[in-house]
Amino acid sequence: MTGHDDIPKTLAGLPNSAPRYIGQPIERIEDPSLLTGQTEFIDNVVLPRMLHCAILRSPHAHARILSVDVSEAEKLPGVFAVITGEDAKRWSNPTMTVPPGWGTHCLATDKARFVGEPVAAVAAISRYVAEDALELIGVEYETLPAVADARKALDADSPLLFEEHGHNVMLQKVFTWGEVDAAFAHAAHVVQQTFRWNRLGANPLETFGVISQWDLVEGSLTCRGSFQAQGHFAMARAMVFNLPLNKVRFISQPHGGSFGGKGGARGTDITALLSRKAGGRPVKWIEDRMEYLAGGASQAWDRHYDAALALDADGKVTGFRVKLLDDLGATAEGWGAVSAAKPLTNFTGCYTIPAAQYDLTIVATNKLPGSPYRGMGPPPHNWVLEQLMDLAARKLGLDPTEIRRRNFIPPDAFPYTIASGNEYDSGDYRATLETALEMADYPALRAEQARARAEGRYLGIGVVNTIEPGVFDWNAYAIVGQPGTGVPEGCTIGIDLFGKLTIRVGFSLEGQGQYTVAAQVLADWFKIDIADVRVVALDTLSAPPHFGPGGSRLGVALTGAVLGAAHRLTQKLIAVAAVLFQTTPEYVELRDGMIGVKGMAEAQMPFQQVAQTMLARSDLLPPGVDPNPEATYVWTAAGRTPADDQGRAKSYLTAANACHVVLLEVDIETAQVHIEKYWIADDCGTRLNPANVEGQTQGGVAQGVGAALLEEAVYDEDAQLRTSTFMDYLLPTIYEVPMTEKRALCTPSPFTPLGAKGCGEGAMHTTPAAILCAINDALVPLGVQLFEIPASPQRIWTLLQSR
Amino acid sequence: MKPPLFDYATPATLAEATALLVHYDGEAKLLSGGQSLVPLLNMRLARPAMVVDLARIPDLDYVRADGDGFAIGGMTRQRSVEMSAEVRAQHPLLFAGMQLIAHPQNRNQGTVGGSLAHADPAAELPAMALALDATFQATGPDGVRTITAADFFLTYLTTSLEPAEILTAVRFPTLPARTGWSILEVARRHGDFGLAGVVAIVGLGADGRVASTRLVLFGVGATPIRAQGAEGLLVGHTAEPALFADVATRAAADLDEPLTDVHASADYRRDLARVLSVRALTEATTRARAA
Amino acid sequence: MSVTRRIALTVNGERHEADVEVRKTLVDFLRGDLALTGTHVGCEHGVCGACTVLWNGRAVRSCIMLAVQADGAELKTVEGLADGATLHPIQQAFLEKHGLQCGFCTPGFLMSIYELLTRDSAPSDEDITDTLGGHICRCTGYQTIVEAVHLAVEKMRTK
Repeated sequence: MTGHDDIPKTLAGLPNSAPRYIGQPIERIEDPSLLTGQTEFIDNVVLPRMLHCAILRSPHAHARILSVDVSEAEKLPGVFAVITGEDAKRWSNPTMTVPPGWGTHCLATDKARFVGEPVAAVAAISRYVAEDALELIGVEYETLPAVADARKALDADSPLLFEEHGHNVMLQKVFTWGEVDAAFAHAAHVVQQTFRWNRLGANPLETFGVISQWDLVEGSLTCRGSFQAQGHFAMARAMVFNLPLNKVRFISQPHGGSFGGKGGARGTDITALLSRKAGGRPVKWIEDRMEYLAGGASQAWDRHYDAALALDADGKVTGFRVKLLDDLGATAEGWGAVSAAKPLTNFTGCYTIPAAQYDLTIVATNKLPGSPYRGMGPPPHNWVLEQLMDLAARKLGLDPTEIRRRNFIPPDAFPYTIASGNEYDSGDYRATLETALEMADYPALRAEQARARAEGRYLGIGVVNTIEPGVFDWNAYAIVGQPGTGVPEGCTIGIDLFGKLTIRVGFSLEGQGQYTVAAQVLADWFKIDIADVRVVALDTLSAPPHFGPGGSRLGVALTGAVLGAAHRLTQKLIAVAAVLFQTTPEYVELRDGMIGVKGMAEAQMPFQQVAQTMLARSDLLPPGVDPNPEATYVWTAAGRTPADDQGRAKSYLTAANACHVVLLEVDIETAQVHIEKYWIADDCGTRLNPANVEGQTQGGVAQGVGAALLEEAVYDEDAQLRTSTFMDYLLPTIYEVPMTEKRALCTPSPFTPLGAKGCGEGAMHTTPAAILCAINDALVPLGVQLFEIPASPQRIWTLLQSR
Repeated sequence: MKPPLFDYATPATLAEATALLVHYDGEAKLLSGGQSLVPLLNMRLARPAMVVDLARIPDLDYVRADGDGFAIGGMTRQRSVEMSAEVRAQHPLLFAGMQLIAHPQNRNQGTVGGSLAHADPAAELPAMALALDATFQATGPDGVRTITAADFFLTYLTTSLEPAEILTAVRFPTLPARTGWSILEVARRHGDFGLAGVVAIVGLGADGRVASTRLVLFGVGATPIRAQGAEGLLVGHTAEPALFADVATRAAADLDEPLTDVHASADYRRDLARVLSVRALTEATTRARAA
Repeated sequence: MSVTRRIALTVNGERHEADVEVRKTLVDFLRGDLALTGTHVGCEHGVCGACTVLWNGRAVRSCIMLAVQADGAELKTVEGLADGATLHPIQQAFLEKHGLQCGFCTPGFLMSIYELLTRDSAPSDEDITDTLGGHICRCTGYQTIVEAVHLAVEKMRTK
């Protein structure tokens, strides 16, 4: 009926001469419920006869499980079911993984591979009793040597995570794009450096939670929970439990943040098995914070880099080599490997680097399986590239801003295909840089820095430019074994008998304000009050094809889905109205909320009236039109291409860009870093709701500060986790996060609905690099540089002692 | 993270409370503000048979100025001390130290007695108590006794309170004239336990030389530590930067091996003790000259 | 084995009596027994601040209090802030300033800010930071929360 061509790429394409909502920082429709404590998070849900699950976890990083005795636990009053790996083997399959073949059952069967791995679970009348029961389970372990260091995991005599593979290498491949060897052979300058990014992760304030219920008679499974991508998890459960997909129903509750990893395959499978064993009673599991830190989706990006830039005499970068050893932990169940693939989408950053190489090794160790986290792979990758740019500038005697200017992709070169295959849609990187420098008064900053140095104080300035790939596509992850091209996102729009509108979507609230964006777009399409639009979430069996939030995609995709559905619905209304106006559809249009005859201002009626007519006056419907003022549209990015053998694809649809400038001080006596000021110039195309965008940006800065300075999941050499609480895993507070000055630029995307670009991850892509570059800028006169993240005071102190 | 089973009592008098402690013979835990105990219960790291809640015992919640000091009841919330206008005016060190304890939401519930009896070596209250020569009032089955700060902190999380004794009050002397103070710490984040901290008190004589001093380091040993050797280098001399450097170096050198954990090594902690000692002595001296 | 006590307390002006297991945390009692689920659980060890409620007017972390400790107390939770359909000025300020994203930490923030602004109608920036410092927000980066506090101060002054 309609395709992408009917979805306007600019506001002018709307059937509304004066849009009121799109582009405005309007209040979010989801907030009154959140502010009054009424939003139904998963732990608020209570079902009849519901039981509560607690999970027994391995205290050992690597141990054979010789026996599990649950007899005493089963006798405890209030306990209704206890399961072990034997139940998991009987009733389920190992979970699917990327790369394939590195997964396990939800409960350890033969051996435990990391501290915190589930070994047994209890369903009881309360969480308190369930935890009491855990203490009555006897597990006999035979401890095995563990490996915590990715480099040692490559050794021939390393302990093996999966003996059947004979090694710990999950994936090893070299991707070469262009004449890299020649670039380095002929380079006037080469800068090379190793980098270490330590594990950290999402830590939404709400941990994962789920209520699972088997219908033993029907043979079906229903799971309510805080699933970032309910359809994706439903599909995986169907495979784990050998169920037809239409016998698996997932209901996503609003969730308290996710940032990439929320969904909890193990907890879902464990509660499902417990429900089955408990005769079909619903079983709730709310992951507690210590479970999250040791065994949840809390860790990402455990990386060892060796990277180099080749430059010509003028400071033009001619080649970029990255060798990455990525420690994914005990299994590939957490989808963390896609984070190693995602840098293909912005491998060469904002720059015209013609040749590049990615030497990628993903290895298993006895640590928590890695998960996705906001930004996926680029935050570490961008740090490596941007720090190398600074090192190159220093080597060539250029200002760090000047070397960037010399290498930017020029504004007239778009769409621009980078060496690793992705296409950037649009941008003006130089303008973004200059805007940020002007905001910061960069020359004044350098003068301030010089004055401070004269006083013995060490100020550092970081200036970093990055690309934020937006609107993710599965094809970007082909190199780690992820199938598929395209990510459908659908919605259904309906007009009710009272003339109000509902948008039905396949995802729940997560915090980005997507329901507000959908309502803004629809309200402006039909020129109605936003209060007349309601957005509701459907479960996996009733929603149109969907994925939900992820990969800076949903704002664009949902806008496309809403506009596509609104257009289809409008066509339906026009077909009916044509009969009422005694004309034919091509003479009827939607204009400012009225359906009317083209060129006849008085021949019109409110669009709602047409819908009401459809519902209440079937006798007036033309042949072939059903009484259904609803339409569904499923949007996916056009023009995506499958990856070639070197991983190259048109994948992420948009390329936002940003420049961050930070001024900080390193106290060289205490080794503390204090961020003084922070400026951001950001171009993510059309801002559908600027307040939402700024919130995403500032939130990304906070997480970037955490990554740069505080957050680290620390394992000792025996792979015991040493950061198991919020006393040791340190999230940034208001004291550490700078209040930032932000300015927006707008280069609309030529490819997307209304010209919007993905904007959820850009600050996380940029902030760690900006802070680390600034720290090293401060340290230059001291002759030391830090190439490990987070820049904890201990690391800085140790570095300063090495002088 | 749910507490294990335990019994719970709310004695109405100190006598009842101590009787419970005697009866449970080491298996009872006192609950005052709960900011340390309840997390440990939630993690099932503390497993008492009996939790004795002191909240219903009268007359343990007060801040009383007595001329040259403040007597503070054991169950007094840290926030009450911080909010006391008298404390703010007359005991700026105590006020400043309170503000370094975690966050207002913790201080609203956490008690002065609880923090001191818990005796975390990185906590601010024990360090201030040691620096100020505070006196502790302990009530046990045999009555009340007074313990000096020097005798109170034995080792990590251990005090000289007998198993059936309750810390019912503590008295913090105010600082005399021409005396300055400083409390500084380096923490990963504001409100966290310090990696290292220092309380410095400098009293100047009529001749401008240091007449008395206290230098207490915290977070760098099993208890807060008074750097007596370093103090000795200061008394009788003119307070000046070169001397502070020597004093601080001595204070750091005299430390036994500090703790190493995920946040800081022993050597880094020792160096922080030195750096903070210089800064704290400098600040205390400046305040003494202004006082 | 399980020990219970009868407690009586007032929550948002409503008196409740209940038999409660002595080991039950206050937040589990509020959420589970009284169905006041607006108070959230984020860490259960007193760090994140999501569970903050007012206990006799003071903001405390209800995950590290036992329900029995609240016997005789007067509590206020996020459900007690709005006046019917009218948001409290602090809630309204959060709405206008986008002071929340996922909203999970928000009830805790609101309660601490409520304590601050009912005690001090013109708090200093230091006092605001001190109050917010006891809460972790993983979404917003705090900037709009600070703006919301300033707007709430204005709203409460002119109210």
